[in-house]
Amino acid sequence: MAKILIVDDDPDITESMKVVLEERGYKVICAYTGEEGLSLADKEKPDLIILDIMMETADKGFDVARSLRKAKAHKDTPILMLTAIEERTGLSFKKEAGDEVWLPVDDYVEKPLKSKELIKKVEGLLKKR
Amino acid sequence: MEDIKSTSSLIERLYWCIRLRWIAVGGIISTVVFASNILRMPLEVGPLYGIALFLGVYNAAFLIILNSLKKKAPLDITSAANKIANTQISLDLFSLTVLLHFSGGIENPFIFYFIFHMIIASILLTRLASFLQATFAIILFLCMVFLEYKGLLRHYPLEGFVPSTLHNNILYISGVSFVFISTLYIAVYMATSISSRLRQREKSLKEANTLLNEKDRIKSEYVLRVTHDIKEHLSAIEGCIEPVADGITGALNERQKDLLFRARDRAGKLIFFVKALLEITRLKLTKRIKTERFSFSDLLKAIAEDIRLNAQERGLNFISDIDPSIKDIEGVRVYIEEAIHNLLANSLKYTPAGGEIIFKAESTGGRFLVQIKDTGIGIPEDELPHLFEEFFRGRNAKRIEREGTGLGLSITKEIMDMHKGRIWVESEEGKGAAFYLEFPKRLLYNESLL
Repeated sequence: MAKILIVDDDPDITESMKVVLEERGYKVICAYTGEEGLSLADKEKPDLIILDIMMETADKGFDVARSLRKAKAHKDTPILMLTAIEERTGLSFKKEAGDEVWLPVDDYVEKPLKSKELIKKVEGLLKKR
Repeated sequence: MEDIKSTSSLIERLYWCIRLRWIAVGGIISTVVFASNILRMPLEVGPLYGIALFLGVYNAAFLIILNSLKKKAPLDITSAANKIANTQISLDLFSLTVLLHFSGGIENPFIFYFIFHMIIASILLTRLASFLQATFAIILFLCMVFLEYKGLLRHYPLEGFVPSTLHNNILYISGVSFVFISTLYIAVYMATSISSRLRQREKSLKEANTLLNEKDRIKSEYVLRVTHDIKEHLSAIEGCIEPVADGITGALNERQKDLLFRARDRAGKLIFFVKALLEITRLKLTKRIKTERFSFSDLLKAIAEDIRLNAQERGLNFISDIDPSIKDIEGVRVYIEEAIHNLLANSLKYTPAGGEIIFKAESTGGRFLVQIKDTGIGIPEDELPHLFEEFFRGRNAKRIEREGTGLGLSITKEIMDMHKGRIWVESEEGKGAAFYLEFPKRLLYNESLL
């Protein structure tokens, strides 16, 4: 069964997602900071990464996503980004010169997330692989 | 900002003076015609018409100068505008004096007309400049009177109107001169006092307004921070309740299910409310947003399809009529989508089964008009003016949905304001409602909406 890494600094939201995914049969590992996320990604090599956009600082999620994409091991790993409403309207999307892909994630969902929607998104992304 | 506004209002007033001067030219000509042809006064009409012509000519010159000045940026032209104002008034005073000289001098009752120039000077110029113009007027007047008295300048009497010996009467001219001088100075003093008091009041109103706007902004930023935090916690609460309520962590007995469902519902409603509040606060704070050009027709069709399915499920007849000539629009796509969607969602909510919703979009002239009409519960007449206020909920709406945010229409209105559009409503309670959204086709500013 697939292995999923959740990177989110909110332990309650992380735990609730973990419960839903584990009941579904996935193996779930959690990281609570960007750095922890990157090191766990290297160590565990997950099949899917769920990434929160805002940890400690706004847009920290983007930096983590970009770092993941730069690493060979996770270049093609599907990333599901958790956003809040402001990001949906494009206000904090930044385009940086030199970046090939400015939005280095495969899909994004708005928090809070219903369990059915989470499962649907996760299965959809894993199927694409 | 202060200077720009006062310069542009000065320019407006100068245009007003030019209009007045045309009237003055007409007045002079008609008075001369009347006096010489009807009253049969033996006047030297030549010089009098000459002054009228002179007035007309320099008025036209000022008009041309002002028109070319208006094209430049307001800050560059402040001193030029002031010079024009002063020059106009001085020339007017000179013209009036010459006019009076050729028509009886001190014996002509039209010497009262100097007052008009004092009033205008007090409005247009600084206090010092106004007093200087008054002094200039007095000097011109006294020169004319004195030179005529001394015989150095010919006197043109108004025969049959007034005894032409008055201009030689030193007592008379002293008396009139004294009254003239005092009248002009007092008039300027009074008018400039009023004028400066008005300017002060305007200034403090402007300052109060700026302060209010600043306070509103601070409040909005505060609301933003607070609701953001609230939303974080609510999301976590909902996230934790949901899997349990859905039975994912194990089967629940009826009681557990019931209470958890209630908790989840309320958390959901609160999140919905907080999101709406966040949205409208953010809309208010947004000064500069990036607009894009996108296919309005695609958006309208997508919304129509989405609503059609929804309407069918509720047993409502949905008619969409989108003008095929609609192509692109400039704006923020998610906001425009939200504005239209809000209105349609309301129609779905407040129209009972068997009813009808009409979604129409047309392109006329310089604008797009989107109409959303339904045969729903409608809006009571006394509530129509308050409809777009924040947190306002209609009483018959409350009967259908007890807890609503009252923010949907406010958000829609903010979005329309942002796009320099308009929104209005027509409704009859019990019969239905029709909402109209008007979008301009071209925005004045390309990248930002202020």
